[in-house]
Formats: sequence, structure tokens, C-alpha cells
Amino acid sequence: MRILVIEDETDMARYLCDGLRQADFEVQHCSDAASGLRHALEYKWDAMIVDRMLPDDEDGLSIIRTLRNQQNKTPVLVLSALASLDERVKGLREGGDDYLTKPFAFPELLARLDALTRRYSSSASDQSRTIKIADLSIDLSTRRVERAGQTINLQPREFRLLEYLARNQNQVVTRTMLLESVWDFHFDPGTNVIDVQISRLRTKIDKGFSTPLLHTVRGAGYKFGING
Amino acid sequence: MDRIWHSVAFRLALICGALVIASVFLFSTVFYFATIGVMARTIDGKIKSISIRLSDDAQTHGLNSVAQRIEHTLSDGVDSDTEILLLSDPNGKKLAGNISGWSDRAAPLDQVIDRVVMRGSGVSPSRVLLHRLNDGALLIVGRDMQDINEIRILIARAVMIGGVLAVLLAVIGTLIFRKEIEKRISSIRHATIDIEAGNLSRRIPMSGTPDEFGRLSADINRMLDRIQQLMEGVRHVSNIIAHNLRTPLGLIRGHLEESMRGTRDLEKLEAAGEFAIEEIDNLIVVLEKLLQIAEAESSTRRQPFEQVSIRQVVTNLLELYDAAAEDLGVEIVTDITGDPFIAGDKDLLAGILANLIDNALKYAGSPALIKIAAAQHGDFICLIVEDNGPGIPETERHKVVQKFYRVNRQTRGSGLGLSIVAAFTQLHGGSMDIEDAEPGFRVRITLPISGSPTLPNGNKSSPL
Repeated sequence: MRILVIEDETDMARYLCDGLRQADFEVQHCSDAASGLRHALEYKWDAMIVDRMLPDDEDGLSIIRTLRNQQNKTPVLVLSALASLDERVKGLREGGDDYLTKPFAFPELLARLDALTRRYSSSASDQSRTIKIADLSIDLSTRRVERAGQTINLQPREFRLLEYLARNQNQVVTRTMLLESVWDFHFDPGTNVIDVQISRLRTKIDKGFSTPLLHTVRGAGYKFGING
Repeated sequence: MDRIWHSVAFRLALICGALVIASVFLFSTVFYFATIGVMARTIDGKIKSISIRLSDDAQTHGLNSVAQRIEHTLSDGVDSDTEILLLSDPNGKKLAGNISGWSDRAAPLDQVIDRVVMRGSGVSPSRVLLHRLNDGALLIVGRDMQDINEIRILIARAVMIGGVLAVLLAVIGTLIFRKEIEKRISSIRHATIDIEAGNLSRRIPMSGTPDEFGRLSADINRMLDRIQQLMEGVRHVSNIIAHNLRTPLGLIRGHLEESMRGTRDLEKLEAAGEFAIEEIDNLIVVLEKLLQIAEAESSTRRQPFEQVSIRQVVTNLLELYDAAAEDLGVEIVTDITGDPFIAGDKDLLAGILANLIDNALKYAGSPALIKIAAAQHGDFICLIVEDNGPGIPETERHKVVQKFYRVNRQTRGSGLGLSIVAAFTQLHGGSMDIEDAEPGFRVRITLPISGSPTLPNGNKSSPL
């Protein structure tokens, strides 16, 4: 996986690049908008991480706009200290695929990057109507969930939660990602509501079965799959 | 001079003075034409009628009869000091009359004209009418205007003196007017200069008279009260923020320092690192909340409002909090009348309810019942979130919306929940009330369905 990082702050860039390399990404770093845009246009990338407030009063969003105008659909994660909801909306409207505010937790960044690159590569091919993981099967059209031949009754929102986890199987998904994708909320709900939702789902699909499918990833979020 | 011209008081007074003078002259003109004008017209009429009578007489009885009549008229002692009469034959020879003769052959006939004539002992300015009789004889009828002219001069003098007095009064009035306004304004200016210099508690002295300046001063004083209150709020909040950020920062620093002291124990270092990350994450949450509040309070959101279904928002939230409630042994029930819509921001409206539900889950205890109700009343939607927990004492009720205020310090929380609710509600032009649910805590949010906020200060300016 090749990632282009456009970030002017040296420490932040080093932190990003080191972390990404540790996670087995191939990383190229640019520290200003002009060279960033040049790299973005000249080479093929699996994803880009773009800071917003770049030197010379450049907004990273202008890079994305230029890319999108040239039909370049490389997934872009906007990384910015501009945290207000308005700025987020603007970032996504200008063509960013995801928006993460600084300061951030690295697992959150990795999880979102995984989701981005996966979404990008599999968005067209994901036509299957049934998802099967170990002895669990999820029928997306009839909304039936079975494990080892046993029907599991889920409430509609629990089904959406399971569906999202299953679609992103073997990937870390964070609490914020769940809140945004399953509940479509963009605010911090305060208490550990997501954790409780997950543990309720876990009781329904894992309790009494030999292989646990829903795993907690410490300091990051959750992972759905045979291996934790 | 330039300074004086730029004074509103001076200009107003000047306009006033000009109006006074103009009205004096207008009045004088009307008076003049109503007196002298009318008299002059009467005189002209009289001259014409005498002339016609005498020429009729000449036609029927001949010149001699007219001459006799003239002599008679002049000697009867009536109006003899003003009347002017002359009859001369076609050759210019005087037949009768009291003026010496008429030499001006070019004078127009049959119209009343101004002429100075020689009469008896002296000259007299007169109105005269010349009429040529059929046989060529000349008949002159006129009236001495000396007395009228004297009246005219008298009136002109009176008008002049009146005008001068009016101008004088206008100038004095201007000065007094200007001084009075300047006096009133300078008290306001002195106060504002003082306030600008930093004395925010200074107020404009009230004169007690409820005139325009009095009301203006009262308005300004009210504005100053509000500004001072806001300033104190800001000061208070920055103190609290400093405290609330400094405490966890100190804790983090302490933990890190301690872990690095003495032998380097990897486990200790890891624990300190984890603690630091957790505390920093909490700080980020607090910072984010403060940012949200600031954003909402300053109404800087540019995202346009959209039609939001309250039922949808509540259902969504319920499906988010149901597991947590279940876990805590709390039941959440809803009572939504109809399907009310409101112009607003979906996330902020959800944020209002989420914070209220979160509060109820935290403080209502267990088991408990949380009720969420929504109903439309006219142009407003009323949202109620209440629990049947212990509630809060009356004395604490007004404090809970203050930032970082927490009734129960044992429970984990940022103390910003209700501040967020208040700020988001205000952004939607609504109001928030905290009530006693007897027993329990009830928050009532009233939102206009149009979503349009009232004026920034929340009230309309009073008409002058």
C-alpha cells in the first residue's frame, strides 16, 4: 500500500510516517502544497493523508479540489486541527473521503485508512447478498442472522451494527466510525454507549459458541473476524 | 467655525432660526397686503367712480356744470385735504380744480397712475386718473397719498424691527439650544470616554427626566450592564477553564515524572504512558466541547438549517442509548405527539437530547425511568426530558448551566453537558427551563419550528 502524506509540521510528519511504515505502508512525504500536488498527480497512490493548513496560506482542500477536477479518485483522508463541524462538512464536500481532527489516536487513523482503501478497492465488487464468517451467516436481503444453524434475533440497529462490522471484517473499526456509520451521528455521546451496544451484540452472537468473533482491540476499537 | 458647522445642535438651531425669520416675513407680507393693499385698491376704485360720475355729468349737462360740481366738491370740507380734481378745456386752460395744471401730455389715459402734483401750497404724491372728455376737455381725478405713505413707512419700520428682533431671538435660541444639547451629550461622552479607558463600571448619570436623552442614557446603561456581565462571564469562564485544564495536566506531569524517577521500570513507564494518553483524551474531549459551545454561542455556524424530524432523531438516539440504559437498569419511554419537524441542525438537535439523556442516565440512579416527550404547540416544539431520580435542590438549579458546574463531584463528567444544551438551544432560537419533576430532574426545551433565532440580545428594542 502506497500512501502520500502532505503535512508541513516536521514532528507531526515524522510521527505519521514512522507510524505508517510500522504498519507496513509505503510512505512518501511532502511538506508543501505545490510538491504535494505534483506527487499526487504524477504517481499512483492507494490513499493520501492531507493536512489543511499548509505553508503559504494554502488549504490542503485546494489539492483535493484539483485532483477531483482531473477525475483523480484517490481516496483522501483530511487531517486537520480545524475541528468544527462546519469545517468537517466543507472538507468532505470538497472531495475528501474522510476527515480526522488533530489531535488523534494513531489506531483511529489506521482504522480509517484501512476502511478508506478497502472501500475504494471493493466498493464495486461487493454485490454478495450473504456474508459468511466461520459458522455465522448474515443474509443481507432477508436480514436473517444464523450461527451454527441457530437463528439469532437482532433489533434493526443491532443488525446494522453487525453488518458494518462484518463488511469491515478483520479490520479495526473505532467507536467514532461506528457512531458515524451505524447511527449517522457526528458528536460525542459522552458515556460508553458504543461499548455497551457492542457488548450486547457480543452476548447475542458469541455467547455459547466456541469461536469468539467480536474482539476488542485495546486503545483502538473493535475487530470482527475469526482471529482477534 | 468648521467645528461649529459639524455640530448637529448648531445646524438644528440654525434651521429653527431660519424658519422663525421666514415666518416673520411671511406674516408681515400677508399683513401688508391685507392692509395697505386693500386700502390702495379701495382708493383706486373710488377715483374711478368719481371720474365716471363727472364725465357722465359732462355728457348730459356740459362742462360748466362739471366745473360747478368740482368747485362745490372742493369747498364742501369733506376729504378736502386729500381730494385732487382738475378740469381743463381742450386748449389746456384750467376751468376748475385744485391743482395748478397738467403739462405731461404723454401720460396714459383712463388708468390710475402715481404722479407728484402741485396742489395749493406744496407738492403731493398722488394717485391720479386722466380722462379725455368727448369735446377734448381733460378731466383729472386723484387722491393725495401722503397719509397712506406714512402708514406704509410705519408698517415697514415695524416689520424691520420685528425682523431684527426675530433674528436676535433665533440666534439666542440657537445658542441656548446648542448649549443644552451639548450639556446633555457631554455627560454621555464623558462617561463613554471613561469606559473606553477601562472603567467598565462607570454609568451615565441619569437626569431623571424621561426625555430622549434620558431614554438614550438608560439604553446605553443597560447595554453597559450586559457587556459588563458578559465580560465577567468570560473572566469567570477563563478562570474555570484554566483550573479544569491545569488539574489534569498537573496529574499527567506528576505521573510521568514519577515513572521516570529512580530505576527505569518498564511496567511503571507503560502505566504512566497509558494514564497520560487517557487523561489527554479526556482533555481533548473537554476542549472539543468548549469549542462546540463557543461556536454555538457566537452563532458562527454557517451550515444552513434543514428540516429535521424530531421523531427520527429521538428514535435514533433511543437505539443508541437503549443498551446503556438496559445495562444500568433504566427504562426510557417516549411520548411524541404527531411527527413534528423543525428547521435546525440534526447533529446539534441530537446533541441536545443526547446530553440530556446522558445526564439522566448518570444522575437518576437505578432503577429509574426516563421520559422523553415532544409536542408541537403552534410555532414551537416543546421537548421534555425528565427522570424520576433525586433531582437537584432548588438552590442549585440556576447553577447547573454554568460551565464546569457539577452537582455531584463524585460522578465522572465534564460539567459541560447542560452548557452545551443551553448553547445549542440558543443557536436554534429556543429557550431552556429546568424544572422539578417531583421527584426528579426535568429539562424543558422550547424551540421555534422555523429555527430562526430572535435578535442577538433576545429582546426587541423599545420604540422611542
